[in-house]
Amino acid sequence: MSRAKAAGAQRPKRFLALVQSTMSTETKTEEDLREEIANFLRRNFPQIQMHGGSAAIRDLDMESGEVTVMLGGACSGCGISPMTIQAIKSRMTQEIPEIDTVHADTGMGGGGHGSNRGGDMSPSFPGETTDDAGGDDSPAAPF
Amino acid sequence: MAEFDPEKFEDKYVHYLQELETAYKRAFETMNDAYDSELVHAIDQQILNESEPFYEGDGRFRVELPENPAGRVQGVLVDEEKLQTTLDRYVEEIRAELRRVFDIAES
Repeated sequence: MSRAKAAGAQRPKRFLALVQSTMSTETKTEEDLREEIANFLRRNFPQIQMHGGSAAIRDLDMESGEVTVMLGGACSGCGISPMTIQAIKSRMTQEIPEIDTVHADTGMGGGGHGSNRGGDMSPSFPGETTDDAGGDDSPAAPF
Repeated sequence: MAEFDPEKFEDKYVHYLQELETAYKRAFETMNDAYDSELVHAIDQQILNESEPFYEGDGRFRVELPENPAGRVQGVLVDEEKLQTTLDRYVEEIRAELRRVFDIAES
């Protein structure tokens, strides 16, 4: 009897968790997605900040699944950013199902050496949370 | 030193991102010391940001560039010949740095 009672008490809890997780997928807000992207960048690309750079979400289109990520600060012309950008594009579309297209640049598309426009970016990783900060076995910076 | 596994290189941005960044960074520094800095920055930011390295076997890497690379460069006054020569040299430097970072010799 007591065992049955215990099992019965468990079921609604599990059911509720399932409903909540389903709902969160269906009703993911733009804010949720922005936070997920920011966490993804921070978790997988800690080297951006390690090198004094920053990554900010400039535009996010929920309908088309397009996001524009700006790399700023030291990332503007440090020689590392081409591969970092390619990796962000490749991995984000694989790991975040809502994202189909990633535009990433350093804000230097029409400029050259002198156009250090990192200063006009929004702060890195907006909506940052500390749930897994520092908890990764992230690779050390290569330099 | 990362031990190179050609199969893992298929998924290079997961397994070898650090090595790729290092190779590109070293190539950038070499080029920046030897050539016009503005041009080198422009190539880095406007052409190589759409490049992709592939391993061809026998210690050889290929760096695939976006279509019409010369047409992508803006904001720098440079004639096409100089741009092409610098870009070719840059790509060679990246290929050499990839071999170096993975400690493999071209055969």
